[in-house]
Amino acid sequence: MSITPAVLVRDLVFAYDRDEAVLRGATFTVQVGSFTALIGPNGAGKSTLLRVLLGLLRPGSGVVQVFGGPPGDRSRPIGYVPQRVRLPAGFPLSVAEVVLMGRYGKLGLMHSPKDADRVHVAEALVRVGMDGKANRRFGELSGGQQQRVLIARALVGEPLLLLLDEPTAGLDPAVRARFYALVCDLQNSHGLTVLCASHDLEALSEHADRLVLLDGDVRTEGPPSVVLESSALARCYEFPAPHDHT
Amino acid sequence: MTDFLAYGFVQRALITGVLLGVSCAVLAFFVVLRRMAFIGVGISHAALGGVALGVVLGISPMLAATVFSVGVAWVIGWIAARGRISEDTAIGVFFPTTMALGVALISLSPTYRQDLMGYLFGNILAIRPSDVWVLASLATVSLGILTLFFKEFLFLGVDEEAARAAGIPAEALRYLLLTVLAVTVVASMKLVGIVLVSAFLVIPAATGQAVASSTHGMLTVAIVSSLVSVVGGLWLSWLWNLPSGASIVLLAATLFFLAFLAGRRRGR
Repeated sequence: MSITPAVLVRDLVFAYDRDEAVLRGATFTVQVGSFTALIGPNGAGKSTLLRVLLGLLRPGSGVVQVFGGPPGDRSRPIGYVPQRVRLPAGFPLSVAEVVLMGRYGKLGLMHSPKDADRVHVAEALVRVGMDGKANRRFGELSGGQQQRVLIARALVGEPLLLLLDEPTAGLDPAVRARFYALVCDLQNSHGLTVLCASHDLEALSEHADRLVLLDGDVRTEGPPSVVLESSALARCYEFPAPHDHT
Repeated sequence: MTDFLAYGFVQRALITGVLLGVSCAVLAFFVVLRRMAFIGVGISHAALGGVALGVVLGISPMLAATVFSVGVAWVIGWIAARGRISEDTAIGVFFPTTMALGVALISLSPTYRQDLMGYLFGNILAIRPSDVWVLASLATVSLGILTLFFKEFLFLGVDEEAARAAGIPAEALRYLLLTVLAVTVVASMKLVGIVLVSAFLVIPAATGQAVASSTHGMLTVAIVSSLVSVVGGLWLSWLWNLPSGASIVLLAATLFFLAFLAGRRRGR
C-alpha cells in the first residue's frame, strides 16, 4: 500500500497571463514529515510553485495534490512563511497581533478571536523562542526575530505542512543557521512536513533531507550531498561543476 | 458655546459630523496601514465629477457622486489588481480626468457655481434636515462594515498573500473597502469638502500613530482626535465664518503636530 505524499506535483505547467510558462512540466513529491528544499536560480519558478500549492494560483495543466487533496483545501491547513512582511514605518502592530492572524483562517469571517486563540499565540511564541516579546512592536524587531514571529503565525494555524518562501533572504549567516535549526526542531518535534524555497545552499545542505533543483522543470533531486555535487546545479547557477574537468 | 448649539444647522452638522468623524478615523487606520492615502485623494476628487453629473442630469448630486465615486474606486482597484499599471498611475489618470469632467460640466451650468465652494471646502450650512438621516445612515453602515471585518482588513493590510492563503476573500474585501472609502468620502463631502476630505482620511490615524504604542491606542487616539477636530472645527467655522472643512482639517493638523512633538519627547 502506497503512502500518500504530503505534496505531489506532476507535469505542472503554469504561465502568468500570456507570458512564457514559468513552470514547464515540473514533477516531484514531498514525503510526509520530511524537510525538502526547493532550490534554483532567480526566475526558476520556486515562489510560483509555492503559490500554486497554497491555492493562490491555478495550474495551467498537470496534477497538484496536497495530502491527496486539491491545493487550497482548508481541511488540510498549510502554514506559510513569506520572505518578509513590510509594515508602514512606525505602525504599532504588536508581535502578538501578527501571530494571532494565523488563527483568522480557522476562525472564519466576522468571528472574533477568543481566549483559546490567545493561548495558541502564547504557546507558539514559546516554541519559536519569542516569549516575552508578545507586546513588542513587530516593526522594531530584527529581521531574524521577525521571521521567527512569522513561523509562530504559521504554527498557530496548526498546519501539517509548512511552506517557506526564501525566509532567510537578507539575514546574516549566523541568524540563518539559527533559523533553519529552529525549523528542523519544529519539523522533528511536531511531525511537520517542510517545503522551503531558498538560495541558501550551505544551510539547506545541513538541514534539509532532500533538495529539488527547479528551473522551470525539475532538473535533479535527491539528498543534498548528491544534488550539490551534480552538474545540473552548476549549469543552473552558472558556476563550475565540482567534477567538471572539461 | 450655548448659542452655537442652539442653531438647528449646527445641531445637524454636529450629529452627522460626530458619526462621520468616528467612521473616518477607523477608515483612516486602514488607509495608513494599506498606504491608500493617494487613492483617497483620487476618489474624493472624482466626487466632483459625480456632483457635476448629478447637476447636469437633474438628479441628486449626492446620489450621482456616490455612484460615480464607487465606480471610479472600483475601476482604479480593478486596473491596479491587473498589475499592468500601478495603482498610483491609475489614480494619476483618474484624479485629474474626473476633476476636469466636473469642472467642464459645472461650467455648462453657470447657476450652480455659488454652491461649488461648499462642495469643495465644506459648508456648515449645507446639511439640510433631510440629509441628516442619509449621512448618519451612510456613516453607521460604513462603521459597521469596518467593525465586522476589522480582523480581515487588518490581515489583508499586513500580508495579503498569507491572508488569501488562509482563505480570506481578498478580492471581495478589497472592493468592499474601496466602496466604504468612496461612500465615506461622499458622505463627508458637505461637511469637509471634496478637496479636504482626503486629509481627514489620513490625519486622525497619523495622530494616533504618532503617540500610541498599540493598534488599540492608535485607534482610540484617532477617534478622539477626529471628534475633537469635527466639534472644534465646526465651532471655529461658526465663530469665524470659515469653511467648515478648512477649520476641521486645520484643527486636525494642529492635533497631529502636537501629537508628533509629544511622541518625539516620549521617544516614539
